[in-house]
Amino acid sequence: MASSKLYDSAAAAVADIHDSATVLLGGVSGTNAPTALVSALADRQVRGLTCVCDSTYYGAEVLHRLVAAGCVSRIISPAPFGSGQGDMVHELWRSGDLAIEVVPWGTLAERMRSAGAGIGGVFLPVGIGTRFAEGKEIREVNGVECVFEPPLRGDFALIRANRADSVGNLVYEGAQRGWNSAVVSAARIAIAEVDHVVEPGDIDPEQVITPGIFVNRIARASSAPIG
Amino acid sequence: MTLERLDALSVARRAAAEIIPGSVVAVSGDWSIAVADLVREDKGVWFLRAGGTLSDLPINAADAGAILRGGNVDLSIVQAAQVDSRGSFAGYHATDYPGPQGHAGLIDLAGARRVVTVLPHNGADRAPNILDTLTLPPDGFRCVDTIITDVAVFRVADTGLTLTEVAPGWSAEDIRAITGTEVTVAPGLREMDFTVPPGKPPSKVYADGPSAIADLPDGATVFIDGFGGPGGMAHHLLVSLRDRGSRNLTIVSNTAGIARVVSFGTPPGRTAIDHSVLVENGQVAKAIASFPVSPSVSRPSEFELAYRRGEVDLELVPQGTLAERLRAGGAGIEAFYTPTGAGTLIAEGKESRVIDGREYILEHGLRADFALIRAHRADTRGNLVYRGTSRNFNAVMAPGARVTVVEVDQIVQPGELDPEAVVTPGIFVQRIVRRPDGFTGYE
Amino acid sequence: MSADKERLDRAIIAMRVARELPAGSCVNLGIGIPTLVSMFVDDESVVFYHSESGVLNCGPLAEEGEEDIDLINAGGQFLQSVPGMAYFSSVDAFAMIRGGHVDVTVLGAHQVSANGDLANWMLPERGVGNIGGAMDLAAGADKVIVAMEHNDRSGNSKVVQECDFPLTGRGCVSLVVTDVAVMEPTPDGMVLREAAPGWTPAEVQEVTDARLIIPDNVAEYEV
Repeated sequence: MASSKLYDSAAAAVADIHDSATVLLGGVSGTNAPTALVSALADRQVRGLTCVCDSTYYGAEVLHRLVAAGCVSRIISPAPFGSGQGDMVHELWRSGDLAIEVVPWGTLAERMRSAGAGIGGVFLPVGIGTRFAEGKEIREVNGVECVFEPPLRGDFALIRANRADSVGNLVYEGAQRGWNSAVVSAARIAIAEVDHVVEPGDIDPEQVITPGIFVNRIARASSAPIG
Repeated sequence: MTLERLDALSVARRAAAEIIPGSVVAVSGDWSIAVADLVREDKGVWFLRAGGTLSDLPINAADAGAILRGGNVDLSIVQAAQVDSRGSFAGYHATDYPGPQGHAGLIDLAGARRVVTVLPHNGADRAPNILDTLTLPPDGFRCVDTIITDVAVFRVADTGLTLTEVAPGWSAEDIRAITGTEVTVAPGLREMDFTVPPGKPPSKVYADGPSAIADLPDGATVFIDGFGGPGGMAHHLLVSLRDRGSRNLTIVSNTAGIARVVSFGTPPGRTAIDHSVLVENGQVAKAIASFPVSPSVSRPSEFELAYRRGEVDLELVPQGTLAERLRAGGAGIEAFYTPTGAGTLIAEGKESRVIDGREYILEHGLRADFALIRAHRADTRGNLVYRGTSRNFNAVMAPGARVTVVEVDQIVQPGELDPEAVVTPGIFVQRIVRRPDGFTGYE
Repeated sequence: MSADKERLDRAIIAMRVARELPAGSCVNLGIGIPTLVSMFVDDESVVFYHSESGVLNCGPLAEEGEEDIDLINAGGQFLQSVPGMAYFSSVDAFAMIRGGHVDVTVLGAHQVSANGDLANWMLPERGVGNIGGAMDLAAGADKVIVAMEHNDRSGNSKVVQECDFPLTGRGCVSLVVTDVAVMEPTPDGMVLREAAPGWTPAEVQEVTDARLIIPDNVAEYEV
């Protein structure tokens, strides 16, 4: 079966990511991340991206590559700052060159799920009594105090998976699944970087984690180190 | 003489004693992560990590959040910087990050059924970390029930802190002197113990359907799976529920029993088992369903006949809304907006809201006392895999019921199911029954 | 009398709908005439089928004797196992639909109104009906095509100025393909695009309750 989803290179797969786009990044703390796609994006010198990611610390060189290239103007994350002095995100935030929005991770994942699932927003009992409920609509639902959390949609999602078949069905390896499978459905265009591309039928339909309907483009992972 | 404070390992050992065999535990912070290594594997404990693992199972991050909010985590053990007398806490990293919001890594963990904090009793400058009121921004609001420090253990109630245990050599007065809030001393004040008790979880495997639902009460809300046809329906459990005779049930299901009147390959001379066995036995008071009646007017189902006689109520729900309400119930989402049904009969009496120029209606989560579901294989931990399209509502219903009972073709030992292929983690399954040999979905 | 004129059969309706499915699109087919559409999609188009029973990239109906109760479509029909399928739960099935990941759905209807309101889940005289996945498909799919007979068995027009049956969705239908015509609901009213061979626009209007907007260039129904 012919596939128009398979791209020749990471660069080709990210060629139309435009200035000011919202980009959802898979991976946790820089591991299991779409390094080839992010490198290709950093090389393109786009500006004003909003990046949504799990965290930027623990040596999250993936996001730092984009930040260092001056591509990012806003980060939405549960843990945007690295700890200690000299953290690039910290410095840029202090100088006013980078906007930061901190969102609890379960809420962030659910907001992206809402976007991908056509839900207009959810009432969650999360963060009540903390700084994460301030300024939000608070309502008692079924006797439980809840905050309203709107959907969070991306223009693009860049994710990493282990295998794709040519119709875009994906499987992951271990903890790779966590954030990659959570962000993939929430973007208009989802781009998967994979280690292996196989034929339809090579992935057991019972084991598909991300059905191909959510995946628009596939690029092979590069083994080259990032940076 | 200076009194000795405990090291991190001893604090972790004491925290590990709070863990019940077979329970689900979330951990964050070095002190609490150390706890996971102290619990023997045969204790059957599940450890949830935010990045997306549940013990050996990889999971989606949204599912991890759902597990925490949905009441499926029995215990969070979090490392704190401060705790107050009402059980609010600031996380261990509260001072490490700049900005008005800092770091949000612990907010979700505060949603567990129980929250235990571990922390040094005093800071580097000897200032107390247990206070009347936090000086750092809270990560959890009035959620902590037990505080374990390097010198003592406290229980937290609305009335304040009760000191229940002290480290070797310490007295209640010693503790009071270094604590920043009033402390009541428990009558049975003990010395802290660092043995991690062994134990095994109770077996989830039941001999048969009747024994697995023997306590299903009258008036219960029951999730019953089955898309429509014979695939994915827990026929043996349905028959067991008929034989038990529980009455006044609210059933939540895609159909209210159509397999008997629509032939999905029923062998000649046989009758398909479906919800009709409960309806004709007078056990059903109400159905919440999306496809409740026969597609054919001339072949009405038992449910439609009972509905026309005024014996049962019906709440009609679009199929996607039903699935989403089931997910919400199990994922700690009290309510959500959906565009489905806006401007139709379904929207009557419901709040509507325009979001980004589009009309949505508010729908609420659904929970149940029991779920009767069908899967292909289970391991004894309750991990499930399904077959084909028979997964449908089964996987959605499992998390939202107090007791989920699954009927499977085969029960295997832990380790025999590929963790990458597990669809329903065992934390959502309380009871497992093997479908009897030779049993079919027909009578 | 135009009511007695020859009409197109169900297979022709399905063939006409098949022309509306873009190559590479993801399509959900409802029960009845819509199910027939897949028979007329050529292999070159690589259309991907979604079924809310919980399968993607599903194939044709199973041969007799090859039925598997664990592989069905939303209408409960048995499917063949084909390479490239993915199975998922009902909640994911509908996340795909509501989330805008299904490009086209083809549904049957009791009534479609001039502005694209859809009524297809309950006949008022029955007093109770099945919604199933119809409301989610109406609300969620990018494009909703209705494939149906133009008139019911008693001759009542199913293409109406305003629906009087309970609605499935408001303003959601973008194309109506019947055994008499192809029409496009718009905010201004129902536009006649194509008429069946041998039918004049005026004859189509005669069997239609909705006031048709008839442009100069009404084409002949092409399959």
